[in-house]
Amino acid sequence: MEDIFEFIKKIEFEIDEIDEGMLQPETNYREMEGWSSMLGLIFIALIDTEYDVTINGEELINCATIQDLYDVVKAKKQ
Amino acid sequence: MSTPFHLHNKVILVTGASSGIGKQIAISANEMGADVIITGRSKERLEETFKSLKKGNNGQLIADLQNQEELNQLVESLPELDGIVHCAGIVKPFPIKFLTQEKITETFDVNYSIQLLLMAQISRKKKLKKNASIVFSSSISAAHPHKGGALYSGSKAALESFSKVIVLEFSYLKVRSNCIASAMVKTPMYEYAQQQGTKEQMDEHVNKYPLGVGLPEDVSNAAVFLLSDASRWMTGQTITLDGGFLLGDF
Repeated sequence: MEDIFEFIKKIEFEIDEIDEGMLQPETNYREMEGWSSMLGLIFIALIDTEYDVTINGEELINCATIQDLYDVVKAKKQ
Repeated sequence: MSTPFHLHNKVILVTGASSGIGKQIAISANEMGADVIITGRSKERLEETFKSLKKGNNGQLIADLQNQEELNQLVESLPELDGIVHCAGIVKPFPIKFLTQEKITETFDVNYSIQLLLMAQISRKKKLKKNASIVFSSSISAAHPHKGGALYSGSKAALESFSKVIVLEFSYLKVRSNCIASAMVKTPMYEYAQQQGTKEQMDEHVNKYPLGVGLPEDVSNAAVFLLSDASRWMTGQTITLDGGFLLGDF
């Protein structure tokens, strides 16, 4: 799987609510301004579409940072 | 007994009977006197429902209704029906932005197409008795959609329209068709929705019900009414069962 910076770039490009440069590996995305359950759904759908990996809401909630999320996707991808 | 509130001498088909609302409707209809034919994809789980049917002459038919051949075979082996309850369905929240043909097909096949194809075959093969009653398991989200509901809400809204077309096309048989639009009911689908969201979101949602979330028997009791002659003048309607949820804040 691609590295975390490509992962971040994809999220920032695909999700209109998130601007370029807003995310770092250590960003706690659920504490970002404007975080909502809809954004959670969009994260799940983006990961499903781009990486063919299914994560559920509970897994998303258990990830604190973008790095955590990336690790979950990467682990499931293998 | 002169009360029309029973299902004696009726043969009723229930789809999606291996779990949740479909399972309970099969059990309740049987308790109220009907001979019930259940269908579902999972042999094991269908057997479990079948074992819960205590009286009468019942049947179970394992079929994946998405497979046209299995659907045809199922219809072929059916007796003439006094009632059909369509409970097969899936829920997969997905935002518009990422929809694909594959995602649309996945939900619409199970929640809409198979109901149409089943009714097509059943009517063509003349398995629909005069005065038969059709019941669809819909959702309040058909008329009150939620974010991520393009697939689920859309498919249920389509189903509610279809129910009305049945009334028009089969009026010569005096066939009735109605929907039950339920809000959150405690079923395996509920557990699944909980996994898709989070427990916090679910708890927050559950607190908006004056009467709490529903149980499968809350829906099956309404289905029994719709299948019985007690509702013989009721057709083309949707009964909302939501424990007061749509009334708003309390």
